[in-house]
Amino acid sequence: MAKYFDMLLEDVRLREGLTACMNCGVCTAVCPAAAFYNYDPRQIVCMVQTRDDATIEALLKSETIWYCGECMSCRPRCPRGNTPAYVIQALRTLSQKLGFFVESEKGRQQLALKRAIGDNILRTGYCLTPRNIRPELHPEQGTVWKWIIDNDEQIYGQFTSVYGKEGAGALRKCSDETMEEIHKIFEVTGGKEFFDAIEQHSDRKAREMGFDGANEEYFMEVYTRNSNEHY
Amino acid sequence: MKHVIIIGGGIAGMQCACTLAEKGIATTIIEKDSDLGGKIRSWHVLFPTFTPADQVLSAVRHRLAKAESVTIKTGCEAVKITPKCVTLSTGEELTCDAVVIATGFTLFDARLKEEYGYGIYDNVVTSVDLEQMFNKGEVRLTSGLTPRRIAILHCVGSRDEKVCQRHCSKVCCVTGVKQAIELKKMFPAADVFNFYMDIRMFGPGYEEMYREAQLMHNVHFVRGRISEVSPTIDGRLQIKAEDTLTGRPLKMGIDMLVLLIGMRSNDMNPTLEAESGLKCQPSGFMQPKDSFLGNVESPIEGIFYAGAVTAPKNIGESINEGTAAALAAAEWINK
Amino acid sequence: MKRSSWTDYQKDIADDNYYYARSCIRQNFFPGSEKVFLDILSKDLGRNIFDDPLHTSCTGIGYHSDVVPLETIMTVVARQFALMSEAGYENFTSSCITSFGIYTELLNTWEEFPETEERTRENLYKATGREFKIPKNLSHTSDVIFHHREEIARKAVRKLVNVHTGEPLRVVEHIGCHYAKIFPKKGVGGSEFPYVLAGMVESWGGEIVDYPERRHCCGFGFRNYLVQANRGYSVANSHKKLESMAPFKPDFIVCNCPGCTMFLDKWQYTIAEMEGTTYGQNGQGIPVLSYEEMAGLVLGYDPWVLGMQMHQVDVEPLLDKLGVEYDPSAKYLGRNGKYIGRPERAIVNSCSEDTLYKIRR
Repeated sequence: MAKYFDMLLEDVRLREGLTACMNCGVCTAVCPAAAFYNYDPRQIVCMVQTRDDATIEALLKSETIWYCGECMSCRPRCPRGNTPAYVIQALRTLSQKLGFFVESEKGRQQLALKRAIGDNILRTGYCLTPRNIRPELHPEQGTVWKWIIDNDEQIYGQFTSVYGKEGAGALRKCSDETMEEIHKIFEVTGGKEFFDAIEQHSDRKAREMGFDGANEEYFMEVYTRNSNEHY
Repeated sequence: MKHVIIIGGGIAGMQCACTLAEKGIATTIIEKDSDLGGKIRSWHVLFPTFTPADQVLSAVRHRLAKAESVTIKTGCEAVKITPKCVTLSTGEELTCDAVVIATGFTLFDARLKEEYGYGIYDNVVTSVDLEQMFNKGEVRLTSGLTPRRIAILHCVGSRDEKVCQRHCSKVCCVTGVKQAIELKKMFPAADVFNFYMDIRMFGPGYEEMYREAQLMHNVHFVRGRISEVSPTIDGRLQIKAEDTLTGRPLKMGIDMLVLLIGMRSNDMNPTLEAESGLKCQPSGFMQPKDSFLGNVESPIEGIFYAGAVTAPKNIGESINEGTAAALAAAEWINK
Repeated sequence: MKRSSWTDYQKDIADDNYYYARSCIRQNFFPGSEKVFLDILSKDLGRNIFDDPLHTSCTGIGYHSDVVPLETIMTVVARQFALMSEAGYENFTSSCITSFGIYTELLNTWEEFPETEERTRENLYKATGREFKIPKNLSHTSDVIFHHREEIARKAVRKLVNVHTGEPLRVVEHIGCHYAKIFPKKGVGGSEFPYVLAGMVESWGGEIVDYPERRHCCGFGFRNYLVQANRGYSVANSHKKLESMAPFKPDFIVCNCPGCTMFLDKWQYTIAEMEGTTYGQNGQGIPVLSYEEMAGLVLGYDPWVLGMQMHQVDVEPLLDKLGVEYDPSAKYLGRNGKYIGRPERAIVNSCSEDTLYKIRR
């Protein structure tokens, strides 16, 4: 039985990303995640190509599939024309569809990403906007960024006439009609359903972990928790 | 007197001419270079015996010089081939009773693997460049210093879809081991690393040489393909690979990188297919009539193959095929 | 650098009439760069470029954080293409490398798996009633500047040369992984020796520095930066690059991708504050520029009009080398010269405080 492998095959990224791996390691050699974590993209590709259900299920519930930064440095080098990062994308998508992502610390972070980036797209039409890069959550952004956020209208106003307003230019507000179209696209293409699945599985897991559902406290837990067992 | 035209004056073609002469058949060798000998002229010593390449070539040259009714035409190429007639690039048409194609292979151009910086970074050389350095008796860095740490990379332009070379070039593994031993003999204090995916020691004495490289010469073997090369501030090279046996990325500073460049199908093969009705394999090498019973025969009766025109081969195999093609051609002529 | 192969990777870059798609990250952190790009195109070069109020994010950061599904991003991208055709344009130019990577990848996916394009057309029509055409030409905005680099050189008021020594400035270029690593043939110069920024630097008199970690990722890594718990990955990879380039003493870093521009700037601040390490000369940071800012300086734009006050690492040491005249006291002013306070000083802000400014305070 290759139930999970067949499910992965429905994703064009797996079909494009995995032909046959001969374990040469050129992907791991230049992988920024392999340089940082105890991580080896070659081994993941090798595990997926076994097509073994137990092996793939373990991957879908693992920490390891969440280390990749999707920089695609592996792609131009592979002598077999594979793209390990595409294989990772397919694994991550399936892990979320099946609710397996909540079984790992790094997987549970998908809730934070859904709320920080996903919800922002549905709210503003952008992945990020100045005010959701809050200096208190982003100390690394530095003192200039804090000054910018404290004076955003004064500063952005020098470069755009439509800061937070409708019209053409940087950081404009997307019109209601535009936002309606984006919402419709997310509904029609399964984007909303995917978001909801992340919320539901997270809520289930949060309760299992003793939280009162996937609330703000659980969000901060997945956003900041690092067991330091990844290296 | 019957007459066979041999296209290509490398080691296979030369051996073929010798054998045909001994059978009383006249031959004409068509060679595009100005001299016979082919690629072997650039090699230093041959694996696994460390026999000087020149010694092997001289022996065949010597036999050929004594052979009767051998005509040698250098500096020209065959553009169209039938069993009875070969048209040359000069426009000349030569009639014959059979043809042996022994055009060999084309060396992979290492510049196509841009990530290794051949032609861009100093001290990145190919296995062929290294043979030539051995021939001159001197291996030096661009700075004039001697290398202290050398990496030899297998499969450059072989087993690689990115450069449309899926096949294994077969002889690079053993060449890498041979060159590592030569380097260690030259620079006993140097560290020499072979970066490989599989060590394919297919011939007699090859595996033994691999063992000797480890045991007697302390050549290091790392199972992983180098992913990229870059320059360091002190004029050295930085390489990145994965040591796949420990599953960890590896970064190393080296003085010299040797790229074991593969054997590509001959650039002329598509012309053979288009002009002469012969067939190429998916690898680009010519397709023999049968891989078991007709290795030196083409699908066209009266046209034969010898040597690396049909697949990567070592020197011994190429010489054997020269003989086999000569015998097959002689048999066909006398039928 | 002996770069021989870039000419093998020429790409078609439209000469005029562009549909402009903004970048989430660039407009957030470098709004001056987006503004000056439009100004250079329309005012300095006399080209036509359309800034459409209707387009949105491509959702690429969500896609590469694995929360936006493939089918969803395909349809959002299809909507951008539809808006382009409706506005009467055929040449799409994107201000973002993540987006550029997404566009090239999806166009390729549609070609290789035609059923996905069919599905996208249905989805887009169902959701918005719109229909789209594939762009005739797709470029990143750096491609457009590269395409016009010689014309910019002719109009330049200064070169990338140190006015004190007469030597070319030493420049580290960072390309951004998604520019050419996904499809090497879609980037000028390919993925190993990209030429898009190097070509600008060379045309404008500077000198490119090659260094061991040149091709390494800046460390964004999407979820690896966006989730606080993972940021070690991000800073560690930037750290690796900075350590590797520092011995070559670059005068500045120029980036292709808005994310990389921001990270290589901000992580210098973080590393300096955490470890006290700075990578530039004389204990300063290495200024990090967008290519729009680099082009703007060459063409004589004021650095504060370019938005260079929004950088964390001070750019003044570079401005001084270039001989740019600027008003130090105007750096941190608000609209119409309004005093709005100034950022707290950090290690990478090494420039002396301006006396005039102190008086106003």
